[in-house]
Amino acid sequence: MRIPISIMVNGKNYNLQVKPNELLLNVLRENFSLSGAKYGCGIGECGACTVLLNGRAVLSCLTLAVSANGQEITTIEGLSDGNKLHPLQESFIEEGAIQCGFCTPGMILSAKALIDEKPEPLNSEIKEAIRGNVCRCTGYISIITAIKAGAKK
Amino acid sequence: MVDTKYIGINFNYYRPETLKEVLKRLQEKGSRILAGGTDLLVRIKTETEKPAIIVEITGVKELHILEMRNELILGALVKLYEIEKNDSIKNTYPSLHEAVKSIGGTQIRNMATLTGNLCNASPGADSAPPLITFGAQVEIKNLSKKGEIVNRIILLEDFFKGPGKTVLEPGDILTRIIVPEPDKNTGSAFKKLSRVNLDISKISCAVFLERDGNIIKSIKIAVGAAAAIPVRAFYTEEALTGTIFNMNKMQAALNLIRDDISPVTDVRSTAEYRRSVAPVLVRDALGLAWKRAGGDALL
Ligand code: FES
Ligand code: FES
Repeated sequence: MRIPISIMVNGKNYNLQVKPNELLLNVLRENFSLSGAKYGCGIGECGACTVLLNGRAVLSCLTLAVSANGQEITTIEGLSDGNKLHPLQESFIEEGAIQCGFCTPGMILSAKALIDEKPEPLNSEIKEAIRGNVCRCTGYISIITAIKAGAKK
Repeated sequence: MVDTKYIGINFNYYRPETLKEVLKRLQEKGSRILAGGTDLLVRIKTETEKPAIIVEITGVKELHILEMRNELILGALVKLYEIEKNDSIKNTYPSLHEAVKSIGGTQIRNMATLTGNLCNASPGADSAPPLITFGAQVEIKNLSKKGEIVNRIILLEDFFKGPGKTVLEPGDILTRIIVPEPDKNTGSAFKKLSRVNLDISKISCAVFLERDGNIIKSIKIAVGAAAAIPVRAFYTEEALTGTIFNMNKMQAALNLIRDDISPVTDVRSTAEYRRSVAPVLVRDALGLAWKRAGGDALL
């Protein structure tokens, strides 16, 4: 069984055929060569695979590609405007909120979903928004600072 | 170890746009409903479940309903975040709001449905205790032999049968949750204990009570993760009903909660721990519910 789907990825429409058991994460990484979303745990515990689906942060490791039919997907690759980085990308660099970088795409997308809804988030709201994103390097403080700074830009 | 990067099994996939078509598909052997996917896909990946057919129900418009007139109607596809962001629900059903907010991280709440939380029937499903105390009902549909849609409505309290088990039979779908409107002078609260915030509960508790002056006129208490299914605390309820609210004099009644529950030891906690914290948890939830019912919680 192959199913035709049409999805919008980072602002462009695509038509493709997928198998029912293909995951959105793997389709993005393998078919689209968008390797920003990471495979961490595969079971919804780490948030490394976070992408935006119609503007909301979701886990692409627990989303079937067929389920994304007709929807809009944003990955970390879709955030910059040409060579100009998104304010959150800039602030993550400036605040040293990236160490190994494995969690960063997911972190930034969770943060983007938050500031799109709440342009001036409180610390507690930031913590809440990234609670589903695990970072084993930074200790989170620099990430929270970066999100605050990015929101102000 | 199973590889959770890919889904190892093959299945057919359908996304019908009417309830009738969904029900027809559900009559096929090995079919499973897909809504938010946060539980089902984990089970498929870990090979706890191997469905032959996936029936995604997100195309059925009527299952998206979220309506609050007198009672609250929550269609099968209402996601946790929709409840979290709804101020009317927050004001009228604070315990439900608290429970939903305490589940998973943002991404999980953006994906997972309330109905899915119930249908997976984890003994610790956080949304169950508050809904039980409000006297919520669930509407279940299936197809008769003649091919007509048949409806039944049962109390959520009677829905759970064991860990992972509910009254749902193959071919059934839970279509909506119906929560009665609370009377005046009532208050509700939800409390849980978990390893870290947002983690799965070691034990949880919801209280819904009606206040008459300084008297607890009626009270319902439900406890999660403390028995094979979410349970009502009948002994404790009985002991508290009709008594004057006074924190210092209620301890004996609160301790009865230990007889209401039958906890086990598992990866999240021990039976002993659950038993010893249960009265504290009920006490906290009770105090908060009393305050929300307009009572003086310092009594
Ligand atoms: S890879 Fe998706 S949550 Fe960890
Ligand atoms: S920077 Fe390494 S996991 Fe977050």
